[in-house]
Amino acid sequence: MALSGSALQIFANYCVAAAESMAYTLIRTAHSTFVKETEDFSCALITPEGLAFASPKTLGATWYIGLDYGPVLGLIKEYRPGDICMTNDAYSGSVATHTPDILMWKPVYYRGEIVCYVGGHIHNTDMGGAVPASLSRRLTEIQQEGIRFPPCKIVDQGELDEGLLDIMAMNVRAPSQNRGDLQAQIAMLVNGEKRVLEIIERFGIDDFKAGMYQVMNYAEKQAEAVLKTIPDGEYFFAEYADEDSENGKPMRLALTLTIDNGRAVMDYTGSDPQLASSLNMPTGGMPRHALALVGFHYVLYTLNSDILLNSGLDRVVRCILPEGTVVNATAPAAVGMRSLTCKITHMLTFGVFSRAIPERMPACSAGGMAIVTVKTMDHAGRGVMASLGPVGGGAGGVATGDGSDGSGANNAFLRNTPVEINELEVPIRMRRYCLAPDSGGAGTHRGGLGLTMEFEVFTPGTTVTARNRDRTYFASWGVLGGGAGANAIFTRNPDGPDTEALGNTDVVPCKPGDRIRLVGAGAGGFGDPLLREPRRVLIDVLSGYVSLEAARRLYGVVIDGSRIDEDGTRRLRQDMQCARPERQADVFDFGSYRTAFEARWTEARYRELTTILARLPVAWRFFVKHQLFDALDARLEAGGQEDDAALVQELFADLAKRYPTLKSQATG
Amino acid sequence: MPAPAGMFDTMQGDTWTMGLRIGVDIGGSFTDFAVLDESNGTVRSLKVFSRPDAPGREVADGMRMLGERYGIDPAEVVHFTHGTTVGVNAVVQRKGIRLGLITNRYFEDVLVLARLKTPDMYHLMSSRPEPLVPRYRTFGIDGRLDAEGKQLEPVDAASVREAVAGLKRTGCEGVVISLLHAYRNPEHERQVRAIVAETAPELFVSCASEVWPIIREYERTNTAVIGGYVQPVVSNYLTSLQEALRHSGVTADLKVTKSNGGVMSAERGKTDCVQIVLSGTASGVIGAAWVAQLCDLKNVMSLDIGGTTADVALIAGGEPQYATGEYIGDHQIHIPSVSVTSIGDGGGSIARVDPFGVLKVGPESAGSTPGPVCYGRGGREPTITDAFAAIGVLGQTALGYDSVRLDVAAAREAIAPLAARLGESIEAVAEAIINVSISGMYSGISRLISRFGIDPREFALMAFGGAGPMLACHLARALNMERITVPLTPGVLSALGGLIADTRNDFVAVAWCALGDEEWASLERTRQALEQEAIGWVRAEVGAMAQPELTYTAEMRYQGQSFEIETAFDAEAMRTKNLAALREAFHQAHERLYRYRDEAAVIQVVALRVVAKVRTPRPVLTPVPDMAEPAKPAAVVPCWMDGAMRQMPLYRRDVLRAGDRFVGPAIIAQDDTTTCVLPDFEVNVDRWGNLHIINLAAAT
Repeated sequence: MALSGSALQIFANYCVAAAESMAYTLIRTAHSTFVKETEDFSCALITPEGLAFASPKTLGATWYIGLDYGPVLGLIKEYRPGDICMTNDAYSGSVATHTPDILMWKPVYYRGEIVCYVGGHIHNTDMGGAVPASLSRRLTEIQQEGIRFPPCKIVDQGELDEGLLDIMAMNVRAPSQNRGDLQAQIAMLVNGEKRVLEIIERFGIDDFKAGMYQVMNYAEKQAEAVLKTIPDGEYFFAEYADEDSENGKPMRLALTLTIDNGRAVMDYTGSDPQLASSLNMPTGGMPRHALALVGFHYVLYTLNSDILLNSGLDRVVRCILPEGTVVNATAPAAVGMRSLTCKITHMLTFGVFSRAIPERMPACSAGGMAIVTVKTMDHAGRGVMASLGPVGGGAGGVATGDGSDGSGANNAFLRNTPVEINELEVPIRMRRYCLAPDSGGAGTHRGGLGLTMEFEVFTPGTTVTARNRDRTYFASWGVLGGGAGANAIFTRNPDGPDTEALGNTDVVPCKPGDRIRLVGAGAGGFGDPLLREPRRVLIDVLSGYVSLEAARRLYGVVIDGSRIDEDGTRRLRQDMQCARPERQADVFDFGSYRTAFEARWTEARYRELTTILARLPVAWRFFVKHQLFDALDARLEAGGQEDDAALVQELFADLAKRYPTLKSQATG
Repeated sequence: MPAPAGMFDTMQGDTWTMGLRIGVDIGGSFTDFAVLDESNGTVRSLKVFSRPDAPGREVADGMRMLGERYGIDPAEVVHFTHGTTVGVNAVVQRKGIRLGLITNRYFEDVLVLARLKTPDMYHLMSSRPEPLVPRYRTFGIDGRLDAEGKQLEPVDAASVREAVAGLKRTGCEGVVISLLHAYRNPEHERQVRAIVAETAPELFVSCASEVWPIIREYERTNTAVIGGYVQPVVSNYLTSLQEALRHSGVTADLKVTKSNGGVMSAERGKTDCVQIVLSGTASGVIGAAWVAQLCDLKNVMSLDIGGTTADVALIAGGEPQYATGEYIGDHQIHIPSVSVTSIGDGGGSIARVDPFGVLKVGPESAGSTPGPVCYGRGGREPTITDAFAAIGVLGQTALGYDSVRLDVAAAREAIAPLAARLGESIEAVAEAIINVSISGMYSGISRLISRFGIDPREFALMAFGGAGPMLACHLARALNMERITVPLTPGVLSALGGLIADTRNDFVAVAWCALGDEEWASLERTRQALEQEAIGWVRAEVGAMAQPELTYTAEMRYQGQSFEIETAFDAEAMRTKNLAALREAFHQAHERLYRYRDEAAVIQVVALRVVAKVRTPRPVLTPVPDMAEPAKPAAVVPCWMDGAMRQMPLYRRDVLRAGDRFVGPAIIAQDDTTTCVLPDFEVNVDRWGNLHIINLAAAT
């Protein structure tokens, strides 16, 4: 049996409606803000093999399309009707991706047979462990990141396991919230099962069984068609995070994309070794792990927003995720903050596709979005802790127009908190909440601007936390002649005598009267700024988005009051055009920091570094990387000129002399 | 167009003057008239083409035709209500005025930032809607209030004058003033307005805190901006309409319908434009609620499908549901409105086969221009309406209605290429087109159902609009709903809704306090102030003797939550300060919606609201005659339904009598719509002439 072409979309619509219904049930009945407002959850209808064949299109986190439940399904010995299973252990099958994420699944029985599963995860605000909310860059082992449940039955034939719940309650900081959310998650699965049975009633069991594979086949064909519009070939890109640990070294992720007649290989070889911080991604090396494919899904959907969001899309792609690297960490590496690294993989993927089809891809989005929280006291001396909202930047410029400002692209699924609500609920005063001038990369189509948030605190002992900050040093790149976006800036008491740059600090203790300013990074520009319509530059200037000075210097537009000086502009643009060095059309503008960094760490040297590290035992890699970074800096400082990989080998040999154990490890 | 044979009895009200009541609803393609003659209780309807090129003309045209056709004397009109899309169109087509915005310095990007989230979260190029006031016409001033409304810094007059210079430089015709925390204390906005009035008296000025004084700066500001943006357009339109009516000889005061389902005088509408923007969809729901009441239906899901949109609304316990944040195109407007959700496109949605051989319907739509292929007005691509023509539901010529002549052959021809691609018959593909579109609408309604946690089986589906009755059985089957109601005049339900709508207005004040003993005095003061405001409004609107019905609600939440539930504030409980009862009401509302309650949590009153209402007497239907013998079909026609060609009866709606009953398949045609009855659905005609169609499969 099979559904005809005229029935397939109908079937797909019913399945997506079932998944969305699950999502709404969860949002409606959950207790925590993380689920209700932030919508950090996923849900799906899943084949007996563990592959998602339908997910919601308008709700939930965007990262989990195609999450493969296969490895955990088999870790339960025997299923019975009424069972619901769960795990939050990142190292049991690599499906849960950090401890706060509790994953659940429920077999759907029809006439005594498991015909599919329904499943989903939610992010719990806290799962216990070393720090509140269970997440910190500083943590080094997963054991510090809260209580873990191996795959187990939380509901056994309809019977809730209160004992397991009690164990969880004893280990977490807000047990009633966890209990409430867990009940909501169960309600979601029960509703999902009901909806699936309705679909079976409607279409018949045979068509249902065939249909779930047909919608995946359909998605596969759609994805293949998208890839076929991309020239065959091999494309390479690298992307960096500012720090691989607190005050650490840059972290590099590398990706080689091979497109071959509608199929793709995404090879992450060349990415940094796994870290002694919690930025590791636990993918288990699965060739289609959801976390490694988030950027890929964004790209496919952007190129054809008609595609069905199911794991059929992933059949056309295969990832290579070398073991012991940051994209495939081995136990017991901490993984809590894998979201920062995962976001780097998005931009990495955008970049590698941009190499292949620059005109069809946006320039780099801002990246480095921070969620700002404040812990302080109100007038009555009561403790107040609140999230003030996300501070990031916009979307990259595209062929059809400017990137959206303040938020956009892969950083646009969070809502902000209104200034009025923040000021009512938290004893702070907002000084600024606006866009940052001159932060968007220049281009024919400008990159989206960064967001500025500045506030004043009034009580001693106030702590400001800004998790996930990045792009303070590396910038979001521009394409096809477009410029890089501005960096993110984190400052205490800006514009004053006691100004302090806070870099990528996570946690800032404050004193009364301190003003904290966060400026999100800007996104990259698209195309030659000298080709931007002068009228649009004028509007940007009048809007305060581009300064008069930048209008001249970057865009060659001369503005006189609120008018364009046409002649002056023509002359200036001509002069700038002539003075320009020959440029390749496909050039990326990475910004000065990365350019300087890559002058030291050339592609050849970095490749040598990762080759050396790959040969070392996992425990040594992070340490050696840091040692070699320092050694290279010292050598170049001293006037070293060698521009090749041999230098890195030499530095490693020096290191091995100093650490005899290392020497035996490297050779043995 | 001939009138459907609706007959109404005289009204219940005792102070009502006998005469004609006219309701007019201007839609994208057609303008509908509903005329109620209070002396003999008949309703007549009329459809004329809308005149977007010359708004107001269609009303004059319609009045003339009403005179010609039915001998209606404009002087006898005692009540004239009007719903218009002028405001919506100004927003959607971005044809409002050049508006400026004055706000606090360093917060000027309020409209650009909105709430940060973009609409299509998987799309890298998705962007928020472009604000109606661009950033370069937004000016920040110095001066600041704190969250309690206390002044932190005084308004700096120089900065305001600078802003006014900016407004003039950029050619603004009007300005909205919206400052942080002004919902708490409007003083700063008033100071700014005084300076603007003094330095630029020619500018139209609106203060956001006076439009709808709620907390959350983006929502408040954007609502005021939408109001200001459409204000002169709507105001001029209403003035010219008043003139047109006077020329036509109508002496009754013009009333306009509102987004909240009520009516108000046109004079007030000229200054309070923000209230009438979504009046058309709201009136339809009011009309549906009235029909529901006549039929004794408590829970109804209204389904309004026209050429370009399909909208649903819930009527629970006889009451339409209200919400803030309804959409106008891409923009949300935060005033209380009848809650209507768009679930897809209308009869004009286009069908195609994608490169992978999968049949798709929409989102592209032929709309009303060029419209479906079978209308013969230039449409080339097959639509849902064409699918109904191809299977034989539409275009049966046996009836002789002088509506649009349908070109069935053209519809079939347009579907033929799709059929060839799919390797199926034209009829099978036409039915598949209907089913694909139904599955899309099913998804939309399913979302609504899940969001509110309701069971669709407890609701009757009330279908209206040109295409609603055509798709109702299909949708009821998809949703497993038991019953459908098709009102007597489904084509003019919005016009009818306006005609019976109450005079109604909403008032709000932010309270932001716990629902507790200590806070009670201040809550009570807030309530009294609202009450005075409401009574003042009603007296000014209806007359000094008017006794409004006041209904209180509060937007409440458990402290720490970021969303509120509007909960009824019982008058008796308020009078006796029965806090326990008020708290319990919230716990119950929370439990109903979210399935749990939190007895230990602090309940926070974010805002207090009051609805002031003066009832408009409802007409009572005269029963249609009882049937003497079963209705005779006008013809038996071939039609493809549920995968087979069948012979089925075709009825004229106006021959159906109370007590008529038959089982589908059947087609019931009337001048403005066609009802498609699937096999296994049973039609019952009630004494008001409404069709009640039972889904036998779901009812068992």
